[in-house]
Amino acid sequence: MEKKQIEKKNFEDALFKLEEIASKLESGEMGLEESITNYEKGMELAKYCREKLDEAERKIEILQKTKKGEKPVKKEITIKDDTGELDENEEIQGSLL
Amino acid sequence: MNKTVTVSEISRLIKSAVENNPLLSSVYVRGEVSNITYHSTGHIYLTLKDNEAVLSCAFFRNSNKSLNFKIREGMNIIAFGSITVYEKRGSYQMIISSATPDGIGELQLKIEELKKKLSAEEIFNADRKRPLPFLPCRLGVVTSPTGAAFRDILKVALRRYPNIEILLAPAKVQGDDAAATIVKAIEELNRKEWKIDVIIAGRGGGSFEDLMPFNEESVVRAFFESRVPIISAVGHQIDHPLSDDAADAFAPTPSAAAEIALPVKSEIEEKISLLEKTGFSSLEKQIEEAKYRINNISSRRVFQNPLELVYMRDMELEDMKNKMLINLRSKIAVLKQQYNDIPDISKLFELQFKERKHRFVSAVQSLDQLSPLKVIARGYAAVFDENRNLIKTTDQTGINSRINVYLSDGMLKCNVLNAEKGVTFGKKTD
Repeated sequence: MEKKQIEKKNFEDALFKLEEIASKLESGEMGLEESITNYEKGMELAKYCREKLDEAERKIEILQKTKKGEKPVKKEITIKDDTGELDENEEIQGSLL
Repeated sequence: MNKTVTVSEISRLIKSAVENNPLLSSVYVRGEVSNITYHSTGHIYLTLKDNEAVLSCAFFRNSNKSLNFKIREGMNIIAFGSITVYEKRGSYQMIISSATPDGIGELQLKIEELKKKLSAEEIFNADRKRPLPFLPCRLGVVTSPTGAAFRDILKVALRRYPNIEILLAPAKVQGDDAAATIVKAIEELNRKEWKIDVIIAGRGGGSFEDLMPFNEESVVRAFFESRVPIISAVGHQIDHPLSDDAADAFAPTPSAAAEIALPVKSEIEEKISLLEKTGFSSLEKQIEEAKYRINNISSRRVFQNPLELVYMRDMELEDMKNKMLINLRSKIAVLKQQYNDIPDISKLFELQFKERKHRFVSAVQSLDQLSPLKVIARGYAAVFDENRNLIKTTDQTGINSRINVYLSDGMLKCNVLNAEKGVTFGKKTD
């Protein structure tokens, strides 16, 4: 239940909530029991944020047209690291038209 | 025969014909600048020429002060203004109200017109712009796959967010068919199946003409209509392309656009770690404090030697017992004293009897004194009527009434002879 509620929120909300909990804990204004509950919530949010950050799987793709009138397809391409330069062997179309 | 006219008349005719001709009263003239003079009054005088003709022009101070470029000798410009005739000199000239450098001049006019048109449709309104996602997972790019722009975007994107997913929709970014390919690419990336979170569309810097596709109406509209938030990323220095105004955000270079689009992953990770640490150490501190308090409390005597508490209670109990005993004894003593103080009942009764007897005797005696018999014995009489009603006044009888007079030794039956009211006993009658 709790998990689902977090899932619905987006990353930014979760991060904001985590910040809020951390500063609340820091202020020491909550009772110990409340602190523990909040801490658990915070840990869950942090976990969620980390998962979200790692969700994407480094991938560089390019759309290439097939036959006229049909929708294009993805094609994964490799690049030389750091420079962002495309591999010279790649043969790619310059546009979708 | 033709009519003869004076020089002034013909001049006026020409002036009127020229100045009332709408084609000549607001006209764009393209030409090369020569003989330019910047007059000390602020007016600019110049001649526009092409291969076959020349045109004298005046660009007055109040019109040329808003000029955003410097007109130089040999420059091609497009001047806007009206043709006037100067009768005294028998010459005509152009009064320029505005001018743009030629080449881009016409294009700029076209852009201005398009800008007005699209503004009216509220395409550039700030409130139509959406916030960019804080953490996009899939980045769409519209540019040339071989251009520097794509390289720059990749470089920056991968540096900031190493596991980002990038999908390039290739497009031509200059030339006649560029606009159509850009529109197609933007539309394609908007297809839901590609799951794009944010789009960067643009190209590196170039000449004014090179950037023109991003001023094309179809492209500007494609930016505006993009379902996915879109960043316009056209390298430029001075003039914004219209795509910048229609996009949700814009950047002066493709690299800058990648920076706007993506957060630095490591920074966020550090922030999360810091927040975790803050939370943990705060909680730890709170727990330490709680522990300290518990220790503090448990070190009190009561917890150290709990039997002491029982002994203390025992003592209290003993005290209470003693107090109660003392209390009880004193109560008993008081009661005893009260008992001893009670007098002998039989003596009391005798005393009361004597007193009552005495009171009875004296009462009987006084009763005796008051007895009517005693009064009668002293010589008084009591008078009654025949119905044994005591007669106290003369009104109670009439003449010849029978009355009974009781004396000490008997009764006299009498007839009333007369009733004399007012005569009193012991007083003489007349």
